[in-house]
Amino acid sequence: MSEPFQYVFMQRALVAAVVVGVLCACLGTLVVLRRMSLVGHALTHSALPGLAIAYVLGLNIFGGAVVATVLTALLIGWLAKNEAVYEDTSVGIIPTLMFALGILVISSTKSYRDMSAMLFGNILGVTQTDLRLTIAIALGTLLVLLLFYKEWKLLCVDPNYAKTIGIPLNILRYGLLLLLALTVVVGIQAVGTILTNALLVIPAAAARLLTNRLGVMIVWSCVFAVLSALAGVFLSYYFGLSSGASIVLCCGLCFIICWLIRPSISLRTNPERKSKDSCCVK
Amino acid sequence: MNFFISYCQHSHRHPKAEAPALRMKDVCASYEGDDKLALKNISFSVPRGVSMALVGPNGAGKSTLFKVASNLLKMSSGKVEIFGQPLGACHQHVVYLPQRSDIDWQFPMSVLDLVLTGRYVYLGWLRSLGRQDYHKAWEALENLSIEDLSHRQIAQLSGGQQQRVLIARALVQDADLLLLDEPLNAIDAQTRAIVQKVLNHLKAKGKTTLMATHYFNPQEGLYDVAIYLKDGEMIREKVT
Repeated sequence: MSEPFQYVFMQRALVAAVVVGVLCACLGTLVVLRRMSLVGHALTHSALPGLAIAYVLGLNIFGGAVVATVLTALLIGWLAKNEAVYEDTSVGIIPTLMFALGILVISSTKSYRDMSAMLFGNILGVTQTDLRLTIAIALGTLLVLLLFYKEWKLLCVDPNYAKTIGIPLNILRYGLLLLLALTVVVGIQAVGTILTNALLVIPAAAARLLTNRLGVMIVWSCVFAVLSALAGVFLSYYFGLSSGASIVLCCGLCFIICWLIRPSISLRTNPERKSKDSCCVK
Repeated sequence: MNFFISYCQHSHRHPKAEAPALRMKDVCASYEGDDKLALKNISFSVPRGVSMALVGPNGAGKSTLFKVASNLLKMSSGKVEIFGQPLGACHQHVVYLPQRSDIDWQFPMSVLDLVLTGRYVYLGWLRSLGRQDYHKAWEALENLSIEDLSHRQIAQLSGGQQQRVLIARALVQDADLLLLDEPLNAIDAQTRAIVQKVLNHLKAKGKTTLMATHYFNPQEGLYDVAIYLKDGEMIREKVT
């Protein structure tokens, strides 16, 4: 069992798995509670043209992905704010255009094989530079998340009240989108553009099935994401499987287990609520 | 920590001494994408310490008026002043109690945590809750007789309990003007009695309340004055 730890690439992969797992789990909790899963999905797909263009130009592909996802996040936020287009419509339009652009660029290189790591992730191939960048982005994102935790909590539960006390909702919304964009870029290294949203959403969704407490939800979400990421790395190492797919399927397994044991753990709503409400004075 | 970085983008201004709590002058407002005016030339003022009922059926414009007064909806024309200052300048002095449906009750949060959000306006950016904030929250929970629910998750509350929690949050903000959107609607008799007691207590403390309601009963003694809305227009004002 200790054999994989002898290799530097495995050491890096395991550290990356823990960092990516914790980051995706923390931000994923907000994504699930704010019902932004589709936005996460959109951003993950939008990274592709950035990756492809950076690859073609010989630039840092991480940087390319950052630019593409941040740009998409801002565009989605801007379109949604203008209210001329529904938010879900803008989420449907922009990422598909970005993904199509990515495919166009990839097809022009005639090198689909080089792009497979971008699409499906390769955590075993994380370099020292990638790892440093991943840790830096994760620490920065988690710090910002922590500093404005109470405001984001209020944004989720009662945005109108947040607005009445003067909290600038647009700054919070754009801020969350930017953090999400950065997290997506980090996740792409581990599980690829197509599967990153799963790492964001599934651990948090599984945790939500187990608890009604936000703090506990974040902890469970981290546990599921980190365990899945580590399990995926080991499965990939021992059985030669795709690391991205292994990680996501492990997340899926966590979700199924939580779904099955949920009835014996928690009840979402008060069982007395219906009977009490039925005798209300109208 | 003593620093305070206000949420407010405008500079905070103190209430003017002699100004009414709320003054609306020829206010018109409509919702995005709707040509029809939801409020038409509304003009009235609420003196300090007065309890005013805002009476009207569904769709009369009661909630719209509150949204304009609490800066949630931009008016298309007219002028609104809170304690003599423009909208947005006196955040701490005005609180809006929304209808229960405006809250995400499935969010994983305890009753105490939700009530404590009423203190955020005093904290601003980067500051966390202190002992005094918790003390105020407990006091409000006790006033509403829900202190035993403090650690219950908000998803597990009945409709009446939800209403009491929202009122507790409004109390915690310790505002001088309370805009209450149908706090007595669809609640059980016990909750109604507790809420009425709290409203009377607020009146005794000299707070100004503006409360939307479908039904107006002068015998209840809750209000000093009532204004009636219909189809976004103010049709009459009545002193009780």
